[in-house]
Amino acid sequence: MIESQQRVDDFRQEVADMRLRDPATSRDRNLLRVGVLMMLVGIVLTVVAYLGSQGASAAYNTSGPAEQRDYIIVAIMGLTISVVGAALFVRYSFASFLRFWLARLIYEQQAQTDRIVGSTGEDTTD
Amino acid sequence: MISALLELRHLRAAYEQIEVLHGVDLVVPPASVVALLGPNGAGKSTTLRVVAGLHAPSGGDVFIAGRRVNGARADDLARAGLCLIPEGKGIFPNLTVRENLRMATFTGTPLAQIEEVSFTRFPRLRERRRQLAGTLSGGEQQMLAMARGLATDPALLLLDELSMGLAPIIVEELYEMVAQVAREGVSILVVEQFARTVLGVADYAAIMVHGQIVRVGRPDELEAELSAAYLGG
Repeated sequence: MIESQQRVDDFRQEVADMRLRDPATSRDRNLLRVGVLMMLVGIVLTVVAYLGSQGASAAYNTSGPAEQRDYIIVAIMGLTISVVGAALFVRYSFASFLRFWLARLIYEQQAQTDRIVGSTGEDTTD
Repeated sequence: MISALLELRHLRAAYEQIEVLHGVDLVVPPASVVALLGPNGAGKSTTLRVVAGLHAPSGGDVFIAGRRVNGARADDLARAGLCLIPEGKGIFPNLTVRENLRMATFTGTPLAQIEEVSFTRFPRLRERRRQLAGTLSGGEQQMLAMARGLATDPALLLLDELSMGLAPIIVEELYEMVAQVAREGVSILVVEQFARTVLGVADYAAIMVHGQIVRVGRPDELEAELSAAYLGG
């Protein structure tokens, strides 16, 4: 019983040292939201850059092409943000689905094994 | 005063919008067996899933070893010493008995030691060690699930429907093992739909109906109330 008391004490210590996270602020959900936000921000930025470039001077002087280059850079940044946001969204929206899919696959594999064992005529109900 | 190893306070849990636990209060003292009984659909298995970190509670608190562990990851809890043996045994049917036991080496315990302890507890598994787990009898599969769970040296053991689909004699044999494990100092919360055998080894029992604990007491006090709970009386 001394040994078991030691085990319980170890358990208490390990639980006390455990790092916890609040399920309401789960990382997956937050990163999914960040992904959606980045997609929207990226699209808006690209559209703003396009609209801005319409009004930019196309004259062949020092300020015209430079202004347009700025808008091109902003548009590329918007696209990059959108792509990264889309990647985050796909990653974290698919993660939960894939976990479910994996669990289902394991379950179906187990059911299939049960069927095979059943068809061999062995009694597994004991 | 020795604090409870597991304590649930006003625990709530839901699947999407449907709440299945409506404020569960339950205490598992150290080195004791607590039986959670109730009819099908009462929320017993969900309670175990929440305790094991497999399902996030929607309200209330789970205290393990005196610490609030809402949101703890299932693998962290398992490493600390909580073990859930789920309904349907949770073994890998396409792996051999030995390979299933190898799964318990994640704690750092060598396979040889796990085998020695497991085969001492369940001698029948020694004969079957090279056999695919899916081809074992139902009782042997449950023994394997218990052996693998106990090989992790748990301090808190959660058993879900140990007796499901098994012959009464096998169930008695398994519950003898549960009683022995409890004597070794492990706290056990066991969920059962059919109560008779588990009441023989339990220190306390709780009756759960429609997601709420309706009665807690010593097994002999509750036996008379069980039929009313099952029949909705």
